[in-house]
Amino acid sequence: MTVAAGRRPVAPPAEAYLAALAGLPGMGPRRLGALLEVNSGAAAAWASVVAGTSAADPAVAATLGRDPAGRAARWAVDAQAVEPEELLARHRAAGVTLLTPWHAAWPARLVDDPEPPAMLCTRGDPAALAGPACALVGTRSCSGEGRRTAHDIGRDLADAGVAVVSGLALGIDGAAHRGALAAGPGAGGPVGVVAGGVDVAYPPSHAGLFDEVAAAGALVSEAPLGTPPERWRFPARNRIIAALADVVVVVESHDRGGSMHTVDAAIDRGRTVGAVPGPVRSPASTGTNALLADQALVVRDAEDVLAALGLGGALVPRRGAQPECATPPLLAADATVLDAVGFAPTTTDEVVVTAGIGLGPVLTSLHRLASAGRVDAGPGTWSRRGDTRR
Amino acid sequence: MLACIPTASLFGVDADPVTIEVQVHSGLPCTTVVGGPDATCREAKERVRAAFASCGFEWPNKRVTINLSPAWQKKRGSAIDLAMAVGILLASEQLPAGSISGYAFLGELGLDGAVRPVVGVVPLAEAAGGDPLVVPAAQVVDAGLASSRVVGVGHLGDLVRALKGEAPWPLAHSPKPGHRRAPRPDLADVRGQAVARAALEVAAAGGHHLLLTGPPGGGKTMLAERLPGLLPPLTQAEALEVTKIHSAAGVLPVGAGLLDEPPYEAPHTTASAIALIGGGSSQLRPGAISLAHRGVLFLDELGEQRPVVLECLRQPLEEGVIRIHRAIGSATLPARFLLVAAMNPCPCGEGGGRRCRCQPGERLRYARRLSAPLLDRFDLRLHVPRAEPGQLLGEAAGEATAVVAARVAVARRRSIARGTSINALVPGSRLDELAPLDRAARRLLAGLLARGGLSARGLHRVRRVALTLADLAGADPPLTEEHVGTALGLRAELATLQAAS
Repeated sequence: MTVAAGRRPVAPPAEAYLAALAGLPGMGPRRLGALLEVNSGAAAAWASVVAGTSAADPAVAATLGRDPAGRAARWAVDAQAVEPEELLARHRAAGVTLLTPWHAAWPARLVDDPEPPAMLCTRGDPAALAGPACALVGTRSCSGEGRRTAHDIGRDLADAGVAVVSGLALGIDGAAHRGALAAGPGAGGPVGVVAGGVDVAYPPSHAGLFDEVAAAGALVSEAPLGTPPERWRFPARNRIIAALADVVVVVESHDRGGSMHTVDAAIDRGRTVGAVPGPVRSPASTGTNALLADQALVVRDAEDVLAALGLGGALVPRRGAQPECATPPLLAADATVLDAVGFAPTTTDEVVVTAGIGLGPVLTSLHRLASAGRVDAGPGTWSRRGDTRR
Repeated sequence: MLACIPTASLFGVDADPVTIEVQVHSGLPCTTVVGGPDATCREAKERVRAAFASCGFEWPNKRVTINLSPAWQKKRGSAIDLAMAVGILLASEQLPAGSISGYAFLGELGLDGAVRPVVGVVPLAEAAGGDPLVVPAAQVVDAGLASSRVVGVGHLGDLVRALKGEAPWPLAHSPKPGHRRAPRPDLADVRGQAVARAALEVAAAGGHHLLLTGPPGGGKTMLAERLPGLLPPLTQAEALEVTKIHSAAGVLPVGAGLLDEPPYEAPHTTASAIALIGGGSSQLRPGAISLAHRGVLFLDELGEQRPVVLECLRQPLEEGVIRIHRAIGSATLPARFLLVAAMNPCPCGEGGGRRCRCQPGERLRYARRLSAPLLDRFDLRLHVPRAEPGQLLGEAAGEATAVVAARVAVARRRSIARGTSINALVPGSRLDELAPLDRAARRLLAGLLARGGLSARGLHRVRRVALTLADLAGADPPLTEEHVGTALGLRAELATLQAAS
């Protein structure tokens, strides 16, 4: 599919070498870029790695840390186990496309990228990378409110035909994609950008989500199949999330979270950065609130994102959206208790003291309110559930 | 001549009667102990011999055979020393025949002839029988709990003179009032924390196991320590049972008398499985869970306990006993305790808050360390947040232990009047009869069951707690929506106790 059809090439095509190179341990984008530049082509770069002479050129050696010779020697050993042609065959057998910059489906957003991936290993439909796209990212330890917000924005953006780009991590990332997958037919396909190979589910509990995203949209990685998700690959992956989106929205993030890498990468690439406002005392919103203080785009729902994308009004009212007026009136006791519960987590003891109607009635009311979806239970705390709809 | 002296040997929390048979007969001078002695029993002969020398008695210059009957049973401990000494004195005719008919003896001998306290005097006294039973002077009070006629002696010489009629029996020590135990911590020290206080009260009234999660410094240990004080005092029979266990474990202070307060045991996280559930290779000693019988067992850092220890808890939680099988035999030890467990929500303890240093994956793994069946055994589960500084200083003292204990006692009387022991043990089959639900309560539970928010077992547990809440409120069944709603509120979903992922 990716090679010129018809003739069997004498030597494996360049993407085979690119995949082999990108899968080596410690082969980050800077090192790979230097290797390709110095060696004029992937095949030559691979040959230098196999020969153990990759550190010979000072431009490459400068990227290899304190011990360039040692790193080159280790690569030479690692490369023994890799057969580029066989690697390419494995990708073809798995139906995985190796996109390269000279491929027609190479995303236009990557053309002028300051640090583009050398190739994109794509599971699913590469066309999902073409349309309008919004990255929805955030912390793995999110609040229930953050999870729901990510889900709803993801769903509404997909409904409006926007591709939701995210990292398939626990927390916000997973919720955003689940939302995108919950959208109706004809919705924008989700784009998952993962750190390891597109067949290596990480976290393992998201294996099902990996498959669903690949089936509905595209799952991409700059590493070939079977690459383990080494730690350094995650921040590198975040730059691709930013590069593949028109707008980057952080739903919830601590002030020093991995999402901030994505934000930095987005700023480098001139992407619009948005953030969802959160309670000022919620630790999961410290990063996003700080972004808003720095003039980030305020994102309350999908409409705000669509406006930034120039697609304002693209969102058709959701089928079967819950009518606001259907909320049943509350019992007097429940109303008192609901008033005592804040939007930020409030301990049960505080609710008991504020409501002042006794422990038993308060606990009973809290149970009723939680069943009705008006409050969320946390560890020893309760928080009022907000409505993202305006 | 042959002498037979009754005494007893400890096994588990009980003791078996043992007869010391001593035969002094012609042959080369030599002393042999037979009949399943352990190392301590075999050494007894050396202690007795030295004590004889100190007291001026003569060791028979003949062949002495000492048999611990029944011979098939393993004997252990030093409590047979005194009986062995008396047997040799009788067999070598240094004591007149017939001078000790009906007597039984318990006591360890010092080399100077002093009669020293023994481990497990209460069960030993019960098994040895004897009219009278001679025990170490310091343990007259303890042995008197299990035997009606007890005399105490302090020295082997005194004993022989009294048996010969040469001197009066040493005056029975007037039983000193039992050791004054340290006062228990009071619930009034707990500021605020309305929910946790209520949970303690319910746990005490219904015997419901309690799981506390939360960051360090939230007061989990402080709360657990105050639970025994809320339990009703032990009945005479229960107190004797508890005293026997503590005596057999060797943790009953000498001369302490009856333990009539519910015990509190807080084994350290590093305690071995044996120390916790009991056992050992040479004798089946009761472990911490048996020492907590009829009281409170507090397990801190539940997430750090080894899995084998936690699985060992299942049988006692279910049946109130622990059966231990070892090469030397098997024993059933009582272990009906109220379990209070505390755990941190994650390895660093902060549970995902601003100060948490754990990765989300780490927190999930930590939460999964505990098996669902074990967590399901807790009727009451709650999160104890770290107290705000203002709360610690500002709020008035809460209700005192005595006030709450009085309510607990009333609630317990109501459940006893129904013919059940404690509400936590009401069989599921009798809940419909003893804890009927009114219409609103039924609707509340039906909704929860339909949404899959409650399992059938969970339903039983909620109804038992609701029954206890009704007892505390002095309300007759049927249970109302408020009882059930409060019970649900005191049994937090596990998912909410574990940090958000």
